[in-house]
Amino acid sequence: MSFIVRRLFLAIFVLLGVATITFVLSHSLGGNPIYAWLGRAASEHPALAAQYVAKYHLNDPLWVQYYYYLAGLLQGNLGYSPSRGFVPVITVIEQTLPYTIQIAFFALVISLVLGVTLGVVSARYHHQIADKSIRAFYLAGICSPSFLAAIVLLIVFSLELHWLPSGGSVGLNISNPTPITYLPILDSLIEGNFAYFSSAIQHVLLPSLALALVNFGVVVRVLRSSMLDVMHSNYIRTARAKGLSENTVFFKHGLRNAMISVVTLSSILVTWLITGTIFVENIFAYPGIGQYVYQALTTQDYPGLMACTLVFALIIVATNLVADMLYVAVDPQIRLS
Amino acid sequence: MTSESAKEEDTTRASPTHERLGTILYALRSNKGVLIGASLVTLLIVTGLAVFIAGILHGRITPYNPIQQDVGPALAAPSWAHLMGTDDLGRDVFSRVVAATPNDLAVSFVVIAFSLIVGAFVGTYAAFRGGLVDEALMRMTDIFFAIPALVLAMAIGIALGPGITNMAIALMIIWWPPYARLARGEALKIAHQNYIEAARMSGAGRLRILLEHALPNISVTLLIYASLDVGTVILIYAGLSYLGLAVRPPSPDWGQMVSAYQDYTFSAPWLPLFPGIVIALGVIGFSLLGDGLKDTLGAS
Repeated sequence: MSFIVRRLFLAIFVLLGVATITFVLSHSLGGNPIYAWLGRAASEHPALAAQYVAKYHLNDPLWVQYYYYLAGLLQGNLGYSPSRGFVPVITVIEQTLPYTIQIAFFALVISLVLGVTLGVVSARYHHQIADKSIRAFYLAGICSPSFLAAIVLLIVFSLELHWLPSGGSVGLNISNPTPITYLPILDSLIEGNFAYFSSAIQHVLLPSLALALVNFGVVVRVLRSSMLDVMHSNYIRTARAKGLSENTVFFKHGLRNAMISVVTLSSILVTWLITGTIFVENIFAYPGIGQYVYQALTTQDYPGLMACTLVFALIIVATNLVADMLYVAVDPQIRLS
Repeated sequence: MTSESAKEEDTTRASPTHERLGTILYALRSNKGVLIGASLVTLLIVTGLAVFIAGILHGRITPYNPIQQDVGPALAAPSWAHLMGTDDLGRDVFSRVVAATPNDLAVSFVVIAFSLIVGAFVGTYAAFRGGLVDEALMRMTDIFFAIPALVLAMAIGIALGPGITNMAIALMIIWWPPYARLARGEALKIAHQNYIEAARMSGAGRLRILLEHALPNISVTLLIYASLDVGTVILIYAGLSYLGLAVRPPSPDWGQMVSAYQDYTFSAPWLPLFPGIVIALGVIGFSLLGDGLKDTLGAS
């Protein structure tokens, strides 16, 4: 329990640190922090600018500004987005985040399924031809930028084979599901809107596969090496000595313990997948946060960029916490210490 | 196995350090991955240096001027005249790819060298000093780990403004903390070993222990980590370049070329493919080389 409490404190501390970094950065943009809040709008809407100067005490000493900045963040006030017609950034985040969660979820599932399967095969037949080919395959993936993977998939499955759509989140003329969980794919399933569901799955497949292909390698690598470590431990020898079949020893005793390392890894994996969405969503025109980051970057939408940095950090800190809890659940040694 | 037998052969004639180096080189040479990696890396570095030197001498080694338009028909497929085809403005893509080689290499070497030096000093200092300094370093790295490297580099990069130098600075700011953390861990491992205690008892000052005894002993671990890290910096820099933060058109840069050419994915797929594949090949080269170094040096 105290482990989780310690982690929770660390998470809060880290978020505060990230907010401090964005605060510092907001002061280095164009010399006046008002640009970090309103971007171009600062000069186009003087009334709004004056309102912001008053609200965030932008003419006061730094520590006063810092206090109001943090207070504003806690209230969900992230400024206005010049690249999206000055709607509040928090609204843009609310609209785009569900799509990014969808991509990241499918990418995580594909990475884990592919990574664990190939990792097991690699460990089972290590130093044999299967192991070597798997290594070549994941090395090519790990070393490729995600935009290359996205373009290759686009050429193969969309241009050449015509199997999957080349972009967007859902086909034309398909009615959106009513928001329940705010995740469109899940909502369409709950509502029974199968036209939306199947179209949305087809649209999410290529971008998430592109992300998975450049990231699953790390799962193979970690699972393979921890599997080889585990298989040399004493309790495996005991299990073998008891006369259990090699398959039982490998899967029930070996894999179960080696999977702990994969749980720890998942949080790092989420970090990479989330970063990758910036490129992949842009190439597949998928309306998530990644595409917003790209758009904000090319139009100097500072409030949007600052907000996305914070949101990314929040997602990562939250995943780390979940991973820690899972870690406690699967590894009794942590609970006891 | 191979390294042990090589060691036995050498013992009769070589001095200890000589013998160790021989063993390492032998093990490296017999590793196919290292050979492929070393060839790719050599090719890149030689190309990069050649382009750089040619630039200083106001000449060029590329078949065409990389920024000159209409050297061939627009959007021509790869041929002997244009190895990687031509782009929408009739520029030679191969010349552009070659001309961009020094950018990625220079940025990754500078960032890695800076991180190695700063990380090694700060990490070892924190480990030997302990207390508040150590705690501050560890908590700072915690914060840096919570933001994806690319996003943080992007945020700092925007504050600094676009440009290759500014991207290198942004990457330097965020890249050294993991090195400091690694150096700290390694320094803690050796802090209570006999030779450090002996140096301390013989009256050596903190700085002298740090420079003469601690740093040389943790340098191998750090160098192995760094060699595996070069590829990661190339990938992140390519990402920043793709996002338009590194160079201004018409200057060629690998990542920027992919994003500029991605609209032609369906009409001229080779345009975004070639620069993308070159990035991947560079990363594969450094990664294979680093893996080989880790296996060989880590074992011996």
